[in-house]
Amino acid sequence: MQAAQYISSKVYNLSAKEEFVNSAKSGKILARKCTKCGYLHLVTTYFCQNCGNKGFENVLIEGKGTIVTYTIITVPPAGYEKYTPYAWVVIKLDGVDLQISGFMQNITSPSDLPLGAKTKVAGYDERGILIEKL
Amino acid sequence: MEKVCVIGAGSTKYGKLQDSITDIAVQASVEAIENAGIEPKEIQAGYISNVFGIADKQVHLGPVIMSNLGISEVPSLSIESACGSGSVSFREAYANVAAGFYDAVLATGVEKVTHTGTEWTTTYFSYCSDFFYEGGAGASFPGLFASMARAYLAEFKATEEDLAMVAVKNHDNGFANPKAHLRKRITVDDVMKSAVVASPLKLYDCCPFSDGASAVILCSEKFAKEHTKNYIQVIGSGRGGSPAALQGREHITTIPSTKIAAQAAYKMAGVTPKDIDFAEVHDCFTIAELVDTEDLGFFEKGKAVDAVRQGMTKLNGAISINPSGGLKSKGHPIGATGIGQVVEVFDQLTGKAGERTVKDAKIGLTHNFGATGASCAVHIFKSV
Repeated sequence: MQAAQYISSKVYNLSAKEEFVNSAKSGKILARKCTKCGYLHLVTTYFCQNCGNKGFENVLIEGKGTIVTYTIITVPPAGYEKYTPYAWVVIKLDGVDLQISGFMQNITSPSDLPLGAKTKVAGYDERGILIEKL
Repeated sequence: MEKVCVIGAGSTKYGKLQDSITDIAVQASVEAIENAGIEPKEIQAGYISNVFGIADKQVHLGPVIMSNLGISEVPSLSIESACGSGSVSFREAYANVAAGFYDAVLATGVEKVTHTGTEWTTTYFSYCSDFFYEGGAGASFPGLFASMARAYLAEFKATEEDLAMVAVKNHDNGFANPKAHLRKRITVDDVMKSAVVASPLKLYDCCPFSDGASAVILCSEKFAKEHTKNYIQVIGSGRGGSPAALQGREHITTIPSTKIAAQAAYKMAGVTPKDIDFAEVHDCFTIAELVDTEDLGFFEKGKAVDAVRQGMTKLNGAISINPSGGLKSKGHPIGATGIGQVVEVFDQLTGKAGERTVKDAKIGLTHNFGATGASCAVHIFKSV
């Protein structure tokens, strides 16, 4: 975890999820960094999982990372029929100790997406957090 | 703490059932009461596990079940912890008897969803995930476990055929279980040729959506001795939690809550994984059984796949895993599953498991979790 990876740090007035969504729309992941131990959490966390501290500072992280694992869904939940098949992926963000998962269109075969492939956060809409290949 | 025993067990068949959610819950409860040889009036509390009562137009199931049993005055509650509801409810029943609040209680688990169809169940089950990050980004439950599977296959050089062998083994066991939902033998080829649900998982890697109800009577040792010689003792009870979303886990191929719950249960029971003769584990998908049997300490990390290849987990292998057929073949009525596992252990340790009997078994373990293992309970039982 290196401070240099954070491209800005400020407190917003919106709810945590609204802030997160707005950040994702600009390709960034809004996270919370513990002011005591530096442990990183997603914005929906209120006490540090590592040390129990309540103090956080918001940090914006560049939404680029590598594929940790994924699935290609062919039997979707309601609302996703018109997007099927699609991938749901877990990525590890570059340079920080944080993973994020999301929706990925245009993946129909495992050959389309090797583990370790480079990806980026590309937005947020009715499909959730959108991830694309870099 | 009081020693806690299980003195009666009952279960409906698992599968597509016609009767209502209330009817099947009562049928299993009546069987457990009669099997225990007690009067309903001796029951002092009811613990009801269920997730989607709303699908069959009945929530607040406890008082309805109690009323049908002629004990409307008895307190009850409903417990929801996704697919782990049954074991979590069993734990609360156990804790209250152990604490001396009650001498005898009923724990009934029930689910009735097959009439809703695949789209409804796929969608509503996804609400058991950390929805903002998972279900709300298109992840189905097969998809979440498929993600664990892809990571496992890559990390431990396992194959989709290896996963298929878990399904084949559990169908072999379930074939001998008259109450199993999918009571048919299958081959690796059948699994490999079945439709892809969420790659790399195929239809036959997935447990079915099932209807069903299971019930057990828990009581103090004193109460058990006064009523029957046909009982088993709970010697270990453990619970644990995990990050709700997969993205929050350091390792995708292990389930932290299983390890935490198992360690607590082994410690309380004073046993080690080597002492366990058989286990009913949460095989909602083939990959889950591999992960579970490693997290429970039966095999080292990454070695469960070798154990399956060598047949070590077959009935009367080195350790019999899921002699009932597991969730995969016996079925997965999600609110009932954790109680159904206890029914299997009761039947095994009291000599009522018929063709699927684990020979000379003295100690059995149940392992049941909610969602991708965000919540978990492990229990250990011994024959008396």
